[in-house]
Amino acid sequence: MRFQSIRNAGVAAVAALALSLPAVQAETLKFVSWQKDESGVGEWWAEAIAKFEADHPGVSIEWTKVARNEYADTMTTLFASGAPPDIIHLASFEYHNFAEQGWMENLDPWIENAGLDLEGWAGQQACVWNGETACIMLLYFGFIMAYNQAILDEAGVAVPTNFEEYMAASRALTKDTDGDGIIDQFGTGHQTSSGGGQYLTEMLNYVLDAGARWTTPDGMPAFDTPEMVEGLRRWKTVVQEGLTPRDLNSGDVRQIFIDGKMGLKVDGPWLYGLMRTARPEVFEQLKVTRPPFDPPLGGSSNVIGMASEISDEKKQLVWDFIAIIASDEFQSKFASMAASTPPSPRADTSGALEAVPHFPLLIETQMAAAAAGVDRIPTGLEIQFNRFAKLVTEAAQRMIIEDQDPADTAAWIQEQAMALK
Amino acid sequence: MPADSPSSQAIYPAQNVGKMRVFGYDLASPRNSHVLGYLLLFPAGLLIFAIIIYPLLLSLDISFQEIKIPRPGGDRKPWTTVNYTNLARSGEFWNACWVTFRLVIVVSAACFLIGLGTALLVNQKFKGRTVARLVVALPWAIPEVVATVIFWWLFDTSYGAVNWLIVVLGFTEQPMSWFSNPVAAFALVSIVMTWKGYPFVSIMILAGLQAIPEDYYNAAKVDRANAWQRFTYITMPCLVPVLAVTMVLNILWVFRDFSIIYVLTGGGPINATETLSILTYERAFGFFEFGAAAAVGIVTLIICLVVSRFLVARRVGAMH
Repeated sequence: MRFQSIRNAGVAAVAALALSLPAVQAETLKFVSWQKDESGVGEWWAEAIAKFEADHPGVSIEWTKVARNEYADTMTTLFASGAPPDIIHLASFEYHNFAEQGWMENLDPWIENAGLDLEGWAGQQACVWNGETACIMLLYFGFIMAYNQAILDEAGVAVPTNFEEYMAASRALTKDTDGDGIIDQFGTGHQTSSGGGQYLTEMLNYVLDAGARWTTPDGMPAFDTPEMVEGLRRWKTVVQEGLTPRDLNSGDVRQIFIDGKMGLKVDGPWLYGLMRTARPEVFEQLKVTRPPFDPPLGGSSNVIGMASEISDEKKQLVWDFIAIIASDEFQSKFASMAASTPPSPRADTSGALEAVPHFPLLIETQMAAAAAGVDRIPTGLEIQFNRFAKLVTEAAQRMIIEDQDPADTAAWIQEQAMALK
Repeated sequence: MPADSPSSQAIYPAQNVGKMRVFGYDLASPRNSHVLGYLLLFPAGLLIFAIIIYPLLLSLDISFQEIKIPRPGGDRKPWTTVNYTNLARSGEFWNACWVTFRLVIVVSAACFLIGLGTALLVNQKFKGRTVARLVVALPWAIPEVVATVIFWWLFDTSYGAVNWLIVVLGFTEQPMSWFSNPVAAFALVSIVMTWKGYPFVSIMILAGLQAIPEDYYNAAKVDRANAWQRFTYITMPCLVPVLAVTMVLNILWVFRDFSIIYVLTGGGPINATETLSILTYERAFGFFEFGAAAAVGIVTLIICLVVSRFLVARRVGAMH
């Protein structure tokens, strides 16, 4: 009886060990991203994952989608619970807080060991935090301007090439087309609802063209300048004159443009993907060109990194995946599949011309923004970015609602931003 | 197996037959009935501790630490009252308190009046009463986010039906900026919350109305009491217990509601609709200041406890 029990226990233990063996050998890397279902870039990720899994038999990547508007909350919760994904995909404006906590691996030794050349890698400097490389930049872009040729022709307006022409065109194109007393066609379009970062990005078009920056190169707030006052004045004029629809988020504003009810739309390269969803008769009227702002707005978009608290074996696997993403082959594919500008200077973008006829324009604006050192994230306020974004958004909204002098608004923001430092 | 069989006696000694002993207590004895009660309550108590008390204690602990993103088992920061002193000095916090207070007053009063009115209406006997009751309760059944998005489109500045209507009818010449005017945004949030909240009040009052004996009204009619007198001397006093509970629940709902405001205005414009719930979320997930967020949460909890206690005591006291 006793012997039988021992024998049964032994058999069970051997069976359990046999069942657990594949689990030990089969490693799974957790990867969370908001781009899983995005046309083009989602397929690019899928191809990179397939290559990684083919190169690493027995290792798989568990790829989970989290919607962009829930992304920061989800990642914060995952990090706070001590169970972050192994492969970390974040927007470039949100990685700093996690890196600051020491939850992102310093990639410098990995880059050095692999001999990865990041010289000329667009936007890579934004991945350096506290003197360490916390991530690899996945996209640095320049803004473009899309316009509706039919609307411009109907109003007899030429494509604007500078701010003054842009304002004149926007005023001419904003009208009530059906005579019900409500404006239903807009000259241009911006997110004007509360929304922090995006509101700031929209404003930055005008601020940069006026010659201002949120902060100085050494990271001090720079609102008390005549250029900044002019930038705020331009933003106020556009919103107060109703040249843009009010109270909408960026997605809704883009949809109005796609629906053919907006003349001009200054936006990132992703706008073209949405333009292709327009009705055929509208799509044939939608064109793209260089923005009428100098320098064009540009910036880092999203980054890839590695969790610092995983095993060394997993770190090696994660790095292998990052190396695939950063390879010349996949950087070239990024251009053609994602129809966006790859950050690698070695990427072959010739294949992208077939999919995106205006690809040279994307490269041009990316280079122009990079040359001007433009980024949406203010230097020196990376950790406080969300608070800073709220501060500026509220001040700008107050300026418009209460018809405040932009000089007073600029002075107030300067004082508050200094306190944030 | 019979209890007096030899085997049974081996397992259950004679002196224990008919007794159920746990930790030396005879639970079958009336003397120890309270022990049995506690034992039966223990699983529920454990569950309450795990899902209510422990998170509360954790929040309290975090609120006394100057911490960005907390982590179970992570490094603790020393206890400090800095989060609370910062709150006391923060204009944002006092603004959120004021917005929450105004919202509670406006929405609760509107819910009460509309809920009472609709309940009295559908308590009458008329044709189509069942349909009317269904219509009254309908907003309650619609998910908050869905209802909010519907209202968001209805009140859209450029393409919303409400603006089209008020311009066509000549109330204004220009469309109203519902989301970028602080007063209008607050009004809009109040409208949506009232729309979503009044059916609960209505249903509860309707249940209370149906519990009032018809004899009271018949006696009052014999005494020639008019409709207003019957309402003030019979209906309202009889409804007090129901109203007390309903209004406490309603006020607490307004206090803690997040999704309607977040989807509709995000707390803007210029903090005109930023309540304590929105402030808590913003501090935690927007600014990564979990210590400060926990402090706002604890203050909110204390306010809710005080308000509930005060209201229940007052209303029930008034009834007697």
